[in-house]
Amino acid sequence: MLLIQTSIGTGYDLSNSVFSPDGRNFQVEYAVKAVENGGTSVGIRCKDGVVLAVEKIITSKLLKPGANKRISTVDRHVGIVSSGLAPDGRHFVSRARDEASSWRGIYKGPIPVSALANRLGGYVQAYTLYSSVRPFGVTSIMGGWDSEAELAVDGQGYYGAATGKGRQAAKAELEKLDLASEKLSLHDAVKEAARIIYVAHEDNKDKEFELEMSWISSLDGPTQGRHEEVPKELLEEAERAAKRALEGDDEEEDEGAKGTGNVGERMEE
Amino acid sequence: MNHFPGTWGRPRDDVYGPYDSSYLQTTGPKTHTQSPAVTGTSVIAVKFKGGVAIAADNLASYGSLARFTDVKRLRKFGDAAVIGFSGDVSDMQYIDRLLESIDIRENYSAHGNQLNAKNLHTYLSKVLYKRRSDFNPLWNHILVAGFDSEKKPFLSSADLLGTTFSAPHLATGFGAHLAIPILRRLFPEERSIEEISKEEAVSALKDCLKVLWYRDARSMDKYSLALITQDGIEVHEDQQIEAQNWAFAESIKGYGAQTV
Amino acid sequence: MFRNNYDNDAVTFSPQGRIFQVEYAQEAVKQGSVVVGLVNKTHAVLVGLKRNAEELSSYQKKIIEVDSHMGVAIAGLASDARVLSNYMKQQCLGSRMTYGRPLPVNRIVSQIADRAQTNTQQYGKRPYGVGLLVAGMDEAGPHLFEFQPSGMTQEMLACAIGARSQMARTYLERNLDKLEESSRDELITHGLRALKETLSQDKELTVDNTSVGVVGLADSGKVESFKLYEGQQLLPLFEALDKSDASETKDEETMEVDS
Repeated sequence: MLLIQTSIGTGYDLSNSVFSPDGRNFQVEYAVKAVENGGTSVGIRCKDGVVLAVEKIITSKLLKPGANKRISTVDRHVGIVSSGLAPDGRHFVSRARDEASSWRGIYKGPIPVSALANRLGGYVQAYTLYSSVRPFGVTSIMGGWDSEAELAVDGQGYYGAATGKGRQAAKAELEKLDLASEKLSLHDAVKEAARIIYVAHEDNKDKEFELEMSWISSLDGPTQGRHEEVPKELLEEAERAAKRALEGDDEEEDEGAKGTGNVGERMEE
Repeated sequence: MNHFPGTWGRPRDDVYGPYDSSYLQTTGPKTHTQSPAVTGTSVIAVKFKGGVAIAADNLASYGSLARFTDVKRLRKFGDAAVIGFSGDVSDMQYIDRLLESIDIRENYSAHGNQLNAKNLHTYLSKVLYKRRSDFNPLWNHILVAGFDSEKKPFLSSADLLGTTFSAPHLATGFGAHLAIPILRRLFPEERSIEEISKEEAVSALKDCLKVLWYRDARSMDKYSLALITQDGIEVHEDQQIEAQNWAFAESIKGYGAQTV
Repeated sequence: MFRNNYDNDAVTFSPQGRIFQVEYAQEAVKQGSVVVGLVNKTHAVLVGLKRNAEELSSYQKKIIEVDSHMGVAIAGLASDARVLSNYMKQQCLGSRMTYGRPLPVNRIVSQIADRAQTNTQQYGKRPYGVGLLVAGMDEAGPHLFEFQPSGMTQEMLACAIGARSQMARTYLERNLDKLEESSRDELITHGLRALKETLSQDKELTVDNTSVGVVGLADSGKVESFKLYEGQQLLPLFEALDKSDASETKDEETMEVDS
């Protein structure tokens, strides 16, 4: 809140690409605000694949259930989930698809996920440079499989990532999983991702939501290196397990969220 | 070596006389591909009750040289269609990449709207026609096998000129001359597709492949055969032409090892 | 001087992360007269209330056929809607030309959504001032999409946008279960009734101020091409509405079995 008050009225926050005297780009910070209220997204990288999950808040009874996907396929082996302004997310995905397909045009093969993340990082950054555009109102998590599993946000590789409203709680849960040891299996990661979305939703309980999940397994796994929706049966199983886990240990969850909240916030910047 | 890079690699004028550069065309119209380079021969296909069968051998020839003997000329497009290519192999690979990019685009969302074989054929014939109109043709003759939007078996061809042609059985290349008569005898016009079983279609294709192997000098006896039915696509690769009998060759002058 | 400094263009975020120019464009949609859209298992229906600028002038078109399998209903700036619907028409024709297939509905909706998004991220452009309901039919069945100036698109079971559309949405929410099970003609009746809910006291639906568009799957299993009902063609639809209204007031419980 303090941050906002110091920026307003100084005139340094009215245009993109302008620094304030203390070296901040307020328009970019405001764009982040748009993300902070979006539905929570998480990504988990494990030894034999990557899972993406998103909490879709149901804004109207009239929405078609199961439609309106928030996780997009970029190329056969890459998926993206975004939190924030949905149309900006679509723009971002559309650029990712163009990059992936132009890579294929030149190299006759799939783009490595890290290369794609690098290019998109550059693209998003360019939207902070000019006063004629505004920054993207999204944070995206990209998951894919090339020779080795990779999960990346803006060029950095992650074992686990979370964005959106419930990101702090989600990050706290991700840290408990000890993903760096690469012991978690893909199937367990699906269940963990579902549970984490449910945990992250706890603070927003008055609103109903739909869980959407996708995964990319290793070449000898269930998706054969392709980005696909998690099959209905598995998704429902994961949801049931998530609900059970939530009823089981409410107290433990709260403690964890408090303990690591600060670390999560620093990662965001 | 001297200091005139333009003469490097050329025969020395003082030894061989002035260099004749007339073959290096400097004027005249711009030209594109005038002939194919590495080529595949016939593709043959037959509609049967509930599906389509299609086959092509594994050879890619460089002129009369049997250059590559493990080239797959049947390409699957999703679960919807199989495309058989004859003609230039590099152009086939180009079209294959085109199809791959379409397949990726089509699968951005699993929305239940798949391109079917008929859609693909419309698209490919347009690509081929555009390229021939640019005087830069893709040197292929293709067969597209699969289903149309009404779930009826679909089989159609398109060639380097953008010409399209459709029939219950089709063959490209040498097959147009050697296989079509056999297929017409087996499946005359008055015989409905509903009367043709899958097994019968497959054995007809195998017969044709054998005749082609006997008489087409740009063919080989290893082939791929695909079956497209409502249950999906089966592709059998690296099949071998069986029960070969070359006895007939003995009696044909110029075919075997006769000396007179 | 408490003027809002963050609403001059679409490329400035407010400190809360909002883009006011886009929100203002959304207001233009609310100024437009109401349109309603709804789907069941086989059909998608659009219903619109037309306005005339003055007594003697003609009524402004509310429903536009895009292709034989798709139509749009508009609320907001009609000229912006024309730009978008012309683009949609071209894309649909392009698909029929190159692939010989009707363009899947979600595909074209995404395309106009991407166009609209571009207008919210570049200086010198303005967001579209129109909301659309896109009703169409493809291999996956009937679809209804809502399109907003922000570039937000959502697939809906039923939807209403424009002036006083909240009343229609309330009706649709209450009758959501009935919509799914309804027949083609019942779906139209529900659409008309939702539209009626939005009317102010002194107004009523007439053959002049109402438009109905229907697309779906015919009994033959083939696509029933987009059909626009206007003028005298509406009379049978109004009759069905009156009949259903009458039977509902007579006996509410029997309405569902009534066919």
